[in-house]
Amino acid sequence: MSRFACLWVECFVAAAVERSEPALRAAPLAVVAPAPSVTRVVDANPAAREYGVRAGVTETEARARCPTLVSRPFVREHVAAARHALLEAALGVSPRVEDGGAGLVYVDAVGLTWLHGDPAAVGRRLVSQARGVGFPGCRVALAGSRTAARVAAVRAAEPVMVVPPGAERAALAGAPLAALDLAPDLVATLEGWGVRTLGELAALPRDGLAVRLGPAGLRAHDLALGHDRDPFCAWTPPPFWDEAQGLEWEIDSLGALAVVLDAVLGRLCARLVAASLAADALDVRLELASGGHHARAVALAVPMCEVKPMLALLTLDLEAHPPAAAVTRVTVSAHPVRARAGQGGLWQPPAPRLRDLVAVLARLAALVGPDNVGSPRLDDSHRPDAYALTAFAPPDEPGGAGGERTPRPDPPLSDAHRLVLRRVRPARRVAVATDDERPSRVDGQRVVGCAGPWRASGAWWDVQAWARDEWDVALGDGTLCRLARDLTTDGWSLDGVYD
Amino acid sequence: MEDVAWVRRGEITEIIGRPSSGRTSLFTACLRAVTRRGAIAALVDADQTFDPASATRAGVDLRCLLWVRCGGRRDLALRAADLLVRCPGFALIGLDLGEAPPRLPLTLAFRLKFAVERTETALLIVSRRRVTGSGASLVVETERKAIAWVGPGPLPTRLAAARTSARVLRARRPPAALPPEWWSA
Repeated sequence: MSRFACLWVECFVAAAVERSEPALRAAPLAVVAPAPSVTRVVDANPAAREYGVRAGVTETEARARCPTLVSRPFVREHVAAARHALLEAALGVSPRVEDGGAGLVYVDAVGLTWLHGDPAAVGRRLVSQARGVGFPGCRVALAGSRTAARVAAVRAAEPVMVVPPGAERAALAGAPLAALDLAPDLVATLEGWGVRTLGELAALPRDGLAVRLGPAGLRAHDLALGHDRDPFCAWTPPPFWDEAQGLEWEIDSLGALAVVLDAVLGRLCARLVAASLAADALDVRLELASGGHHARAVALAVPMCEVKPMLALLTLDLEAHPPAAAVTRVTVSAHPVRARAGQGGLWQPPAPRLRDLVAVLARLAALVGPDNVGSPRLDDSHRPDAYALTAFAPPDEPGGAGGERTPRPDPPLSDAHRLVLRRVRPARRVAVATDDERPSRVDGQRVVGCAGPWRASGAWWDVQAWARDEWDVALGDGTLCRLARDLTTDGWSLDGVYD
Repeated sequence: MEDVAWVRRGEITEIIGRPSSGRTSLFTACLRAVTRRGAIAALVDADQTFDPASATRAGVDLRCLLWVRCGGRRDLALRAADLLVRCPGFALIGLDLGEAPPRLPLTLAFRLKFAVERTETALLIVSRRRVTGSGASLVVETERKAIAWVGPGPLPTRLAAARTSARVLRARRPPAALPPEWWSA
């Protein structure tokens, strides 16, 4: 049985501005945008709406209705960042969320009760997550369909509302037709029939609606019954998470810029924490009063989601590379990565803490060179000693697909104790005397036993073609080694010693 | 480390022996036991002799192995090992000093000993001769006993296995299990 939660934020554009400037929550706020001839209100918070300030009125009229009105310009990035923040907050509760529009997030709630408790607990968890990223006035409703959950969330008086399974039609019955966002001409037709509520619409005969209104009528009837018409489209977070802050005045000192960066990073880190992620790289883009921009990329040695160290790193970087002119706008992008848990599972083997590991890897790289520290990875080649040294990143997700650091089944008994080779790098050229094509002496040492040849070749289609015969040789001094005869040069070399 | 239970955490273990005596195979078996249960291991390789292909065939999970190549610089190898033993979380740290191990000052040997005691890491040193003196809790010397060749005809075409023996030279406590004797090629 499907179960959905709807996370809804009223007056979302105004809420996005309040998220950037929390002090504005107590005042009547209008978000305005310049139109060709006049500046109009785009959205207003509930305090301003009490004075009759609505979207579409001019700023002059709004100020006349509410003398204490505070206005802020509409910034598209603010709204986009707030929209992503709300979606990411929902992702912290369920892996399947859908973007329903500005201020509207649908959450697939099937199975969440196993994690969080009863449906009301799931709703409270969603509210808590949304409040954590700066939406204190959000509401959540849980129902059997997204339509029912949305209508219930919009009409709810409490932060959390739960529609019992099977009661969707009853829950929608009292809602007005406007709750469904139907086409205006369809609403006018229905109102002409005397239909005012969703309950009255649901009570109409379906066949008659199909004959008179066609597919649009059937769709409206389904929605009034609480049935979803569209498939659930899961939202995928973007590779970089942005937060922006427009400035009312130009900033030309690093100290003042740090205050703005602190606020922006605070919002960004709240989003990362809500999704249980961390950032491993930051991009800063400063728009300048001169019309240009100043961009910096800061790689973080350790994935983190703390504001203070991020701010310190950004400030140091901007001190070293200051912008050429005063700053008018700040945008910070973070690359989110899954943070390793501070404590592993009870039965998981211990591993170095990430900060300790990064520090010791950096010291080792400084000691022996960065090219000499890492994890070996075999190349997909038959060429002898074909491997690459990659960055050391032990798998750290218990239970994850492919990347888990969990015990593996034992190999076959024949592989349990293998004789391994100590490589001689680079392979040392040796003088080999042969007897009937078998090695008899190696650098003067008598051969007491040998096996071979094992012929191998590769890349014959390329200029780096190779072909060789390999021999396992036991020498008189007890050394057991592997010799290789290069078939292209007819030279012998010592590959390694079995040990 | 069920099959290498003789290597204890928080202690220094040395494996010494002549070339082809089986000491590297014994060490690789330890790496296999550690990495296959998901723990993290490190190898400080003074002479850069580690063969990833052989280790993979022996069952080592290379993703869980940190390899530090020192290009023949044994002083760097000792400093790298000193850094690693101070980082808690590594289940096993291998220090391969090769055929010409340096003489470790007593202070450095005990420095390593106290560090592994504190971090609960097993430090396993592979070399030609003993290097840590009384700092090591267990010293095992390997020796090759026999080689088995196989082939369809009178002349062998394949190295089948090598038989080695391990002798305990020094042990603070009796080792929990004896190392294996036969190593298949």
